[in-house]
Amino acid sequence: MAIKPIRKKWKSEMTDRERFKAQMHYRPVDRCFNMEFGYWEENFTQWRIFRENGIKNNWQADAFFNFDRMETISGRLWLMPSFPHEVIEETESYRIVRNGDGLIAQENKLKSSIPHYIGSSVVTPDDWLKVKKEKLNPDNPERRFDSEDIEYLKEQHPPDRDYPLCIHCGSMIGKIRDMLTFEGLAYACFDYPEMVEDMVETCCRIVEDSLDMLLPHFDFDLASGWEDICFKNGPIVSVDFFEKVVMPRYKRIRKKLDEFGIDLWYTDCDGDVRPILPAMLEGGINCLFPFEVNGCAHPSVLFDEYGQQLRIMGGVDKMALGAGRKAIDDYLETLVPLVARGGYIPFCDHRCPPNVTEDDYLYYLDRKEELFGLK
Amino acid sequence: MSILEEISGALQQGRAPKVKELVAQAIGEGLQPKAILEDGLIAGMTVIGEKFKINEVFVPEVLIAARAMNAGIAELKPHLSQDDMKAKGKIVIGTVKGDLHDIGKNLVKLMMEGRGLTVVDLGVDISAEEFVEAAVENEADIICCSALLTTTMGEMQNVVELRNSKGLDGKVKIMIGGAPITQVYCDHIGADGYTADAASAADMALAFCG
Repeated sequence: MAIKPIRKKWKSEMTDRERFKAQMHYRPVDRCFNMEFGYWEENFTQWRIFRENGIKNNWQADAFFNFDRMETISGRLWLMPSFPHEVIEETESYRIVRNGDGLIAQENKLKSSIPHYIGSSVVTPDDWLKVKKEKLNPDNPERRFDSEDIEYLKEQHPPDRDYPLCIHCGSMIGKIRDMLTFEGLAYACFDYPEMVEDMVETCCRIVEDSLDMLLPHFDFDLASGWEDICFKNGPIVSVDFFEKVVMPRYKRIRKKLDEFGIDLWYTDCDGDVRPILPAMLEGGINCLFPFEVNGCAHPSVLFDEYGQQLRIMGGVDKMALGAGRKAIDDYLETLVPLVARGGYIPFCDHRCPPNVTEDDYLYYLDRKEELFGLK
Repeated sequence: MSILEEISGALQQGRAPKVKELVAQAIGEGLQPKAILEDGLIAGMTVIGEKFKINEVFVPEVLIAARAMNAGIAELKPHLSQDDMKAKGKIVIGTVKGDLHDIGKNLVKLMMEGRGLTVVDLGVDISAEEFVEAAVENEADIICCSALLTTTMGEMQNVVELRNSKGLDGKVKIMIGGAPITQVYCDHIGADGYTADAASAADMALAFCG
């Protein structure tokens, strides 16, 4: 179904690609890059504008609101094959499943949210060796991109495209957390440090192989990653572990990106990243996304500390969006100097939750255009 | 270094088997079980809590220290008298209705137990009625409510209102915490306490029970 946009695209004098690259490299732009991270599942059933216009997912919502375009190409980085999904127990309000990562997870049927993880399929080094062999084998031929795959992607993303194209660099430790659970990862780092390092090394090799296959064929504008390894009280691995085990692998990936002139690399890491941010920067990650304000700080705090070596995408406090129009106005005003400074693209600091009313959300989009659009 | 200092140090390093071995040695040497508990195990966990508050250690270190503490307690428990085991206070804790995310709640529980408080863990998805009934049944000093989600934190207000309607506001304190919670929100709903981290929650609970 073709999506009929509810809003006009912001006026512009540059392409989305030109604007994104200029904005993230502190050069003059026509206006701010206009994007959002998305919405909770409930928003698609609770917001009238989504319901009445048949908008059912974040991809459709991006087109519906006519945001600027950004696309991503990813290698085959995750478990291949994944664990078979099975329902272990189900009640009216929740179900307990074994998910694709092998985790036993309790899912709330009444609300969309991060599941509650109960157990893991990987606890001991023997468990890991089995999973590595069967599901996370870097040499699995199904991870390869043949010439037909590459040609298809080139047709999708031609060199003269007008939008930024991103190469996904996966996760060095986030996926491992997904396999071990939050607590399981903490214990494993202490009980089986060699196993965890081998897991990180395996993830890194798979990413490196995918970069070798993809980088020569596309003129990428940025790289992305995903970790989700911080929460309100800091990282879920020790800083020492991050510096000694994770950061050196980032450096290996950074080296490959540098060979193809990709200087911008963001990672999706929620929570308070500050304890590991120096190591992230040293490893070559230089942009944070979607940068949670309540879980970390106002973006200006980090810009003050790190200057132009750090970029941020996100950083619009979801709590302000849920607190009414004055709170939205007040918060957006604090971002005006940051957008003017460059290296910063504002959007809701994670998926927009359903406690934000659709009227206030539309008001927020209006205010964003007034403050950051083309005058 | 005294053996109690050794126990505290091994606990801070998360060395559960060593803590267990040292506790057994201390018992064998005739040290008072209460001293081993207070000046070895709880002392070590208190140091971890202080370091956690100032970002010198993070959650992984807290988890392995708590595991070491539990190993030490298991060794010590048969030797503790009823008087030794008298708790400094009793807490009922859970995540609020609709919220299944218990990592923060579990951390607070570990920190509180590590400071000598008794914690009754109600689990996840706990209604206001269940919190208040459990507090009455267990003669708790404090109800601790945890929420990760902006969409579930409103349930905390129901817990406060139900406690007040039962006339328990002078008897049972309510502490709240979780990613979206702030002091402003705590004040707004009339809860008694909010802290930004688990170690500070244990400090506050001890102060409430003191």
